[in-house]
Parts: sequence; C-alpha cells; structure tokens
Amino acid sequence: MSEPRDNLGQDEDLELQALQRQLDDAFETTRPRHGFEDELWLRMQSSRPARSRLRDAWAGFWQGIRAVPAVPAAAVAVGLVVVIGVVLVGYSGLLHSGGSTATSAGGGFQGPQSNQYAGDFGRLPAPVVAGQKTGGATSASAPASAGDYVGPAQLTWTGHLDLAFTVAPVFRYHEPSTNTADQFASALGAPLHGRPEGFLGMYETSDYTLKVRGTVQSPPSSPAYFIFSNLSMPAVEAAGAGPADLASVFLAEHGLVPQWDYTTAVDSSGDPVKVFYQREFNLPGGTTAYLVNMNGDRYGIEVDLSNNRPVLVSGMLPVSMDRANYQIVSSDQAVRAALGGSQPVPVTGTPAPAVQLTQAELVYVLVPAGDHSFYEPAFMFSGTVKINGSTLTKRVLVPAVDPSQRTP
Amino acid sequence: MADRLPFEDLYRGYLGRIYAYVRAQVGTSADAEDITAQVFMNAYQAYPRFEARNTTPAAWLFRIARNATLDHFRAHGRRERLRRTIEHQPAAEEDPAGQAEERIQYQALLAHVAQLPERQRDAISLRHSGLSFEEVGKLMRCSEDAAKMLYHRAVKALRESVRRMEET
Repeated sequence: MSEPRDNLGQDEDLELQALQRQLDDAFETTRPRHGFEDELWLRMQSSRPARSRLRDAWAGFWQGIRAVPAVPAAAVAVGLVVVIGVVLVGYSGLLHSGGSTATSAGGGFQGPQSNQYAGDFGRLPAPVVAGQKTGGATSASAPASAGDYVGPAQLTWTGHLDLAFTVAPVFRYHEPSTNTADQFASALGAPLHGRPEGFLGMYETSDYTLKVRGTVQSPPSSPAYFIFSNLSMPAVEAAGAGPADLASVFLAEHGLVPQWDYTTAVDSSGDPVKVFYQREFNLPGGTTAYLVNMNGDRYGIEVDLSNNRPVLVSGMLPVSMDRANYQIVSSDQAVRAALGGSQPVPVTGTPAPAVQLTQAELVYVLVPAGDHSFYEPAFMFSGTVKINGSTLTKRVLVPAVDPSQRTP
Repeated sequence: MADRLPFEDLYRGYLGRIYAYVRAQVGTSADAEDITAQVFMNAYQAYPRFEARNTTPAAWLFRIARNATLDHFRAHGRRERLRRTIEHQPAAEEDPAGQAEERIQYQALLAHVAQLPERQRDAISLRHSGLSFEEVGKLMRCSEDAAKMLYHRAVKALRESVRRMEET
C-alpha cells in the first residue's frame, strides 16, 4: 500500500523539481526589451536634480543665432528678452572696497597672497568686461522683462561665503579649426555644404542643417554647433517619455550626449519646450561649479522640442582641454570686489536702489584669448530688489583668479 | 566608499534580474518596465546612502523593487491587476521577440506566478531571482526556515494553478 504512495510522492517531487527548473529558466530568460536598458540609463542621467531653472535662453548663443536667418523665430525672441543685469567687476574692484553702504560678512580684508601659486598657463587674461557697463547706467527705471535688474545699485552683502579651498582649476582649449568642425560633422554623418562667414562650416543632411562656430570674442561665447531641423526631421519616439528623456534620446542617437558633468533643466512654459544640459566643472573637495555666460545664465547644450520633434539643438562644440590650478581670492576679497560694483552716487538725480546680495556661488566663465581661450572661475553674487512693485534679481560677477596671476 | 561599485555597474548587473522579478509580480511587460524604471530611479537617488556593510547590493535592490511593486499594487488595486493579468495572457503579450514557443511557455508560467497570493508570489520571485532563503526571509520579515516553507507551499500552489489551466 505504501509503494503507490511513494511512487506518487516521487512523481510529485519530480513534477515540482521540473516546475522549479522551469521557473529558473523563466526568470533567467525574462529580460526587458532591447534598448530598454540604455533608455532607462539615459533617463536616470537626465533626472539628476536641477538646482534651478535656467532663464529663457542663452545670451551666449545669441550672436551665432543672430547671424543665421533660418533660426526659428521663437528661439530668436527668447534670446531678445534675456537682459540680465550683471556688473562684471573689473580688476581694480578686487582691491578696493568701493563706496557702498555695505556690511560685508566675515572678517577683515586679507591682501592677495601673490605668487604663492603660479598656474601652468602663465598669467591669465582677465574676463572681458566690454559691453557689461551698458545696462548698468541706463536701465535703472526700465527693468528687464526676464525678472532681472540691470541698473546701478547700492549693494550690500548679508550672505555667507566660505570657501574650503584656495586653489581652483582653470581650463584652456585651443581654438577649433575648420578641420575640427569637419570631423565633428563627419561623426554626425553630415557632409560639408559650405563655409559661411562667421562659421567654421555648414553641413547638410536630409533632416537638418548643421552649423559649427568657433569662439566668439564679444559677447564671449563658447565654440558651438547648431542643428536646425528640416521639416523631414522625425519626432523622437519614446512612449511616455518626458521632454528631458526625448532630448536625451535624440542626443544619444546622434552621439551628442555630453561627456562632461551636467544638470538637466526643462522649460516647458512655451513652445518649443527647452531642455538644458547645464555644464559643471569639478572643484576641489568633490563640489562642482556651473559654467555661466556673461549674464550669469548656465549653459552647455539646449534641445528645443516642438511636438516631440527637435527643432533646434545648440551646444558646446567638443574641444579637448588642458587644466591647471590657480590661486583664487579669498571670500572676503570676493565680497569686497562685488560690493565695489556699487553705484551709490545718483546719475540722474534718482538714487540707485539698494540691493541686498544674499547668495554667492563659484561659477566658470569663458575668457576668449585668441588662439587659446580659457574657462576661469568667478564668483557670482545675487540678490533681489523691488522695482515698481516687481521683485527683480541682481547678479554680480567677480573674477576669482588672484590678481597676481593675471596679465596687467 | 572604497568598496562600493559604481552605480552603473550595479545597474547593468541587476537590471535583468530586477525586471524579471517585477515582471513575475505584475504580469505585463508595460507595468514591469514602469516599475523597474522607478526602482532604479529610487536606487540611483538613494545609492549615496547605501551601506555595503549592512546588506548586499542584491538584497538592497530587491527591497526597493519589492516596495515599488507593493506601491504599484496599492495604487492600482488587486482587482485591476488581475484583470490586466488575465487580459495579458501569453498570446496577448506584446513582445516582438517573444515568438519562440519556449518563451511563450515561460511567460505563461510567470502569468500563473502573478496570480498567486502576494506572499507566495513574492517568495517564488525572490528565490528564483537568485536570492538565498536567508535573504528572502529578511526581505519578507520572516525566518529562513519560514521562507523555505512559504516557498515550497508557493511552488505547490503554482503547480495546482498550472494543472487547472491545463485541464481546462
């Protein structure tokens, strides 16, 4: 009597073992569809937290875009409305406290520690300040539409700026040539169509026109590429994907995913929706600093999407860079330099409004210098002011490299 | 930090297993993709706080996957899940590569797993995703022996479910 039960038990065991093997195989062979792994990885990369949203556009790209009639009107309009008041404090400001009503945080002034650290690039050129004074004296009663204040101001500092390092890297790149541009286009599969004035090359495919530009001296703008879509440019297909995902997929498909660190930001307030890849530079201690243009706006790559279709992609042309460390000014020196941009003396009889600078961060700015150009650290101070009932933002950029490391 | 893998290595190494685990829970590839994406998004955010000395990366990831799957069920309800599972029996599964008979058979098996009671389903999925009974027990808040018993009961229940399907 027991034998049949044993047989039954053995059969059951065998059946269960077979089922377990099937389960092993089922779990072993069940995998996501092809492409899912890379898509998700891109989504994860693009979901890195954005510290803040960019303003409407990159003023740095404005000059390049202005030269191209075919630029979508929306992109041009966005470029036009960006008027941000930045006082780029000159060199002399670093060494004088200026006539502000300030109460600067921190201790007393510490003189520059000259020649303690000589960078490998030799003395560096100072950031270009030409053109920055324009808004300073003329627009006190005409606030910029982008929510930023461009006029003169009496600056005070109530924030806290405490740097944990005294040396920061400076990056240098060689001015890209037509050969550089051709290689970039070739990697995209875009044949040369011509070399219009102001560009290293123009290239065309069935889906888009590519233009590549070198460094622009004024306003300082990084070497860049612009992809202008033709009507045949297909929409990016990715079910359920948001704009940042779509932009990442497009960049990945074209081998344009940035090789540098970045933060993604999305401006979906209008059409086209804009996806920004804000470039970051690594600093000592594992921190990072954003690359900003002369208006204080972060930049890197921008993908404009209309109905999931990329209509304009503009980004930094990849260039190889050297790196060298330079002594930077102290926090106190930076604050004093920022406050040195105060203009307490009324120009037209109306006192300049008081602006309380409350925040400061280390950023990087482009310093064009001919054959070689540099990305140099700078301090960006910001605060708000009420003008005619509107709260506006005031930004002040201060070069960070120690004056002793600069060309006179 | 020195003994910590780059997150991308973790991601590439475990994506398939996590997906299979989730897929067996929810019964459809679309839901499995959504949940798997959420799992790794959460893991990516949390990885800086991951302590390798407290748990293995596998156990850590499967814990996140388990929570994400439970969240999914809480959000959609079991009835909805069953309806979708039934609607997505093997023939309806939109898998362009899933033409092979064997693969369809495996998907059918996973569909049966997805219809088991929650703890049985979980035990089978975790065990066949490569976790030890000790790890399964920790994740399910029970002893290793209890996890073994639960698993064996689950396999028997699965066999009954498959039998019933074959008889009809």
